[in-house]
Amino acid sequence: MYFFKLISTLFKVNVQMAVAYRADALVNILLNIMWLGWELLGLSIIFSNTDTLGGWGFGELIALLGVFRIVHTMMMTLVWPNTEKFNQSIRDGSMDYTILQPVSSMFLVTFSRINIWRTWDLVLSIVLIVIGVNLAGEVATPLSILNFILLTLSGAVVIYSLWIVMIAFTFYFTKFDNNVTILQALLDSGRYPVSVYPPWLQVIVTFIIPIAVATTIPVQGLRQELGTPQVLMFAVIAAVSFLVASLFWKAGLKRYSGASS
Amino acid sequence: MSPTIIVEQLSKTYKVPEREGGFGAAVRSFFKRRYKDVKAVQEVSFSIAQGEVVGFLGPNGAGKTTTLKMLSGLLHPTGGKANVLGFTPWELKTDYLRSMTLVMGQRNRLSWDIPAADSFLLAQAIYRIPDDEYRKTYKELDELLELAPLMKKPVRNLSLGERMKCEIAAGLLHRPKVLFLDEPTIGLDISGQARIREFLREYNRRTGATILLTSHYMADVTALCERIIIIHQGQLKYDGGIGNLSRRIAPFKLIGVMLAKSNGFDLSRYGEPVQNEEDAEKHYIRVKAGDVTKVTSRMLSDLPIHDITITDPPIEDVIERAFNE
Repeated sequence: MYFFKLISTLFKVNVQMAVAYRADALVNILLNIMWLGWELLGLSIIFSNTDTLGGWGFGELIALLGVFRIVHTMMMTLVWPNTEKFNQSIRDGSMDYTILQPVSSMFLVTFSRINIWRTWDLVLSIVLIVIGVNLAGEVATPLSILNFILLTLSGAVVIYSLWIVMIAFTFYFTKFDNNVTILQALLDSGRYPVSVYPPWLQVIVTFIIPIAVATTIPVQGLRQELGTPQVLMFAVIAAVSFLVASLFWKAGLKRYSGASS
Repeated sequence: MSPTIIVEQLSKTYKVPEREGGFGAAVRSFFKRRYKDVKAVQEVSFSIAQGEVVGFLGPNGAGKTTTLKMLSGLLHPTGGKANVLGFTPWELKTDYLRSMTLVMGQRNRLSWDIPAADSFLLAQAIYRIPDDEYRKTYKELDELLELAPLMKKPVRNLSLGERMKCEIAAGLLHRPKVLFLDEPTIGLDISGQARIREFLREYNRRTGATILLTSHYMADVTALCERIIIIHQGQLKYDGGIGNLSRRIAPFKLIGVMLAKSNGFDLSRYGEPVQNEEDAEKHYIRVKAGDVTKVTSRMLSDLPIHDITITDPPIEDVIERAFNE
């Protein structure tokens, strides 16, 4: 309850920051639509030459694009703006104040900036998923939808945990501005099913930087390719990675010694 | 009643990477880094009772900020113990964080892009301050600091003095029992400093809060604190009443003059010449506080003076001098 109230306050504060820049809002929304058109065009060009990609049809890839956009939205609304704020607060020392707030600093670092114009991407993503599933001629059952939601959440938590670990490295090295570049670089791989990539890259995007966990796998859940034990396994993986990230964050805080002595 | 702040043998040693200047040394240090131990705070002990206002003084790099950071919980000490309100600060217990505040004059707590009012509401949510209590505290702070006209403007549009008022108020919304203030008046003009000072005195009187503050300005300390603690090179050098200290080490004033013709005059006839880097246009001399009137009138009659000022020596110089002599 407390955290929901906090998030809603943070959201309000960010809305106020955002409405100060109206042109920014319009540009953001237009850019989103252009990117979406561009991506759909890319897919239709690929499918004018072939019927399947790594065993996936056109509709399925559109659904995958939808899921990819969900992760992308998380990155755009929370991860990038808060990374920027985090790096800045390490440099100017305002991190000190964040640590001394009587609330989890990891929570504050995650939610203090919310790029609210990007949240509407979620609507686009869900529309894409619904269209994709329909095009693929698949029937979504309540169970497959539940699996899908659970897997999407698990995937998001895994990526989020990875982000926390990456920015927590800053506590150890002080200067580590490119802390999330690798995440950004690999994230793009998520727009295609993991099966199209060569085995070595599959290993990387599944286990090391598990972008696939957040994109390919939820769609597999929607296609009812995964059993309940597998779905639960991914939920457990998410919980464990969150725990590891929290511990790593705490250890990092201990190392932190402020911008000046 | 046991003291609010108890510090025993508190020490902090930093490991600082060290290298010679030059390209070769830079490359070598990339592969093999040498560290030097810097003892920022060495076995400092003191205790402060509830409601006391204590000035924490020392030259730059003496270890003041490091001590404040340990007491607020930001830094883990390398040795010793501290107890504030019954808590060990660096355990960062929520109940501790809710009952103390750290205000640093050179850091920003408030978001630059939004009005302070919005940052205040966020603080209210974070500290779980009930609405009626929040209104009461805000009203009181507004009364003392005249916040109302500042609350609606984005913080980046405020002047330094206005911003500092908001920063301090933001740190006090949860009615902390202990205040750690690191240079709360830095960079403010004289009237701005006086207002913050007046506020702190009144706040202490009304709430009985315990205050430990560092400042560069002698006036801050003499106006607010009956007791001062001085550290120098990480070691405690003085802990006691302020009256004794100024008698002991600061019975001097600085006289600064701007001359119509700058050379050819020997100011050492009037007092000991001193360098003042902040104001290179003037020539400064140090004289005994009791001699100021006499010396000033002599200088005014002897020299082609454009402008003359009489000031307290910067506190850092006083302390530096006291412990080097």
